[in-house]
Amino acid sequence: MTAPPADSSPPADSSPPADSSPPADSSPAAGGSPPAAADFAAWHRLHPLSPLVRAGRHLASVMVVVLALLFANHNGDGGDLVVNLVVVGLVLGAGVVSWIVTRWQVADGVLRIETGLVRRQSRRFPLAQVQAIDVVQSGLARVLGLAELRLRMAGADSSGGRLASLPRADAEQLRHRLLAMVQATGQAAAGSPAGLPGTAVSAAAPGLAAGPERQLFRVRPGRLAAAIALSRTGAVAAIAVALVAGVVELTHQPGVLASLLPIAIGVVLGVWRQFNGDFGTVVAAAPDGLRLRSGLVQTTAETIRPGRVQGVRLVEPLVWRAFGWCRLEVDVAGPKQRHENRSESQRLRALIPVGSRAEADQVIGELLSTRPVPALRAPRAARWKAPLTYHFLAWGGNDRYVAASRGRVCRKTTWVPLEKVQSVRWVQGPVQRRLGLASVRLDVAGRRVTASIEDRGTAEADEIFARLPGLARQARAR
Amino acid sequence: MVTGQDCCGYAERAGAVTDAGHIGGESPAARPRPAGSRSAPGQAGSAVAGPPGAEIQWRRPSPRLLSARRLQAALVTVPAALVAGLCFGLAGSLAAGLAAGLGMVVIGLLGERFLARRVAAWGYAERDDDLMVRRGVLIRRQSVIPYGRMQFIDVTAGPVERSLGLATVRMHTAAAASDARIPGLDRADAARLRDQLAAIGEAQAAGL
Repeated sequence: MTAPPADSSPPADSSPPADSSPPADSSPAAGGSPPAAADFAAWHRLHPLSPLVRAGRHLASVMVVVLALLFANHNGDGGDLVVNLVVVGLVLGAGVVSWIVTRWQVADGVLRIETGLVRRQSRRFPLAQVQAIDVVQSGLARVLGLAELRLRMAGADSSGGRLASLPRADAEQLRHRLLAMVQATGQAAAGSPAGLPGTAVSAAAPGLAAGPERQLFRVRPGRLAAAIALSRTGAVAAIAVALVAGVVELTHQPGVLASLLPIAIGVVLGVWRQFNGDFGTVVAAAPDGLRLRSGLVQTTAETIRPGRVQGVRLVEPLVWRAFGWCRLEVDVAGPKQRHENRSESQRLRALIPVGSRAEADQVIGELLSTRPVPALRAPRAARWKAPLTYHFLAWGGNDRYVAASRGRVCRKTTWVPLEKVQSVRWVQGPVQRRLGLASVRLDVAGRRVTASIEDRGTAEADEIFARLPGLARQARAR
Repeated sequence: MVTGQDCCGYAERAGAVTDAGHIGGESPAARPRPAGSRSAPGQAGSAVAGPPGAEIQWRRPSPRLLSARRLQAALVTVPAALVAGLCFGLAGSLAAGLAAGLGMVVIGLLGERFLARRVAAWGYAERDDDLMVRRGVLIRRQSVIPYGRMQFIDVTAGPVERSLGLATVRMHTAAAASDARIPGLDRADAARLRDQLAAIGEAQAAGL
């Protein structure tokens, strides 16, 4: 069940999967995707146009530089242009070489990627350890009908597998196949101690990953734009615009604008990136977990499996609270480090970029089985240590989850499943000691979610600290 | 390595949990809290070791850790004093140079007084299901790391530690934030701890 049958047709080898898909000589999978089901076991190349997509980012930046140069001095000397073109050519050439030497295969529940010309590299990704599989499309890839498949593993470094790029349909199909295999292998290993808790999805038939969806949430474009305008990004943009206007007003020299151009580009890019990333976010419940799709130009599709959620965070900034809006973020094990895009990886994956509390409640209900409310306020002494955050400083918990909230301007409520707790810390700083307070922090394997039960009375903190490890153990055993 | 004492203390608390079923509970009235927690400061002031785990029998790093720390501090202080003295001495007068050098030495000596307390604050306890580590004087910290959560264990020894036959054991979990290390263990002790933790960790390993 886990691996596709080995009787795949050898001629499919070395031809890109786009043109392959031979007539279904063997159709083992009952429903779903008969044609490509078997031939994932053979070695495949990526799509021939993938070097172009890979170079796309550099191409775009070079274009910007060239345009800027042309605008800056009309008599621009060709030297820089030539250098830039050479760089683009080199990148393209390297991409072509890397395309030639790269091939992949799915067999025996393992995705294997071989790559490298000089330093040959063969990477194996056991599907049982896969945390999530994303399909990502950059703008250029979208024009060309390509997509990138990303496997997220639990490793602490950026150890995920990337298949860039495949034809979009193939990428989707491969993702569904792989997810079905992940579930199958996960269930097979569920009994062993090193098994994967949380593969609680029942009956993982091969074709099931394409099963019915129940849409939970869809972001409204207008609200998203308004929310971004009212968020920190929007505030920064407004301040930048005001600064530029002020400078121009004071100096009466529009030429100053040119020197401010880089800042303006940065601000515009920041706003654009957020809008692009969150536009059209759709959350749907499917048998294999929560499906998440988003993006305007670069689209992302991922599946968040319920057992893999390390933490859920509800963020309610001050201005948004006036409208009853909130943002729901989820943390999954393993870093999704995109080296190209640091700022993006700083933020957690937003299930709901902006939505009402009712929508957030619904999605939270899908992620967590029970939902404790952070109702236990911090003792009054905490007011001296955290005069502002005291307003929302509270925690709550039951035998499955711990919830903690804090913040004044931006209220953040974090839920952490006890079974995911990696370690528990008790911390007391000098001010806290004077006030008779202590904090308890729960670390999970996600990237940055930590449930902080801040500023409790020492007696209470000690009690929490003493009981949490036992509770977490019970939750794991369940 | 778990003494009967702390085992019982822990079991008592665990029992209380199963009775209550909830930690915290949904309503603030569910559990009486210390009234205003105004009484707490006095308590905290009197207790020297961090309040939780008063019943735990802590194991401590080797006494030579203090020597190692002193040596490390000296290795920083002496060059700093020399550099400061030279700079001020060359730029200003001889007196300024001497004052600067002596100032650095005094700062180093003041830090040395703090070192002893910091070294004394380190402690660890191997309990039934988890390892407890405590540290810190100004900011007190205690960590509980379940054995099953350990991903891998490091034993490192810098030059100073090595010269004194010491080593640092560091536990890594899948969470980046959890930091658990025990410095200044005897090398044999460190190896024993590492092997023991690895063995228990393997037996109790839990998935992510």
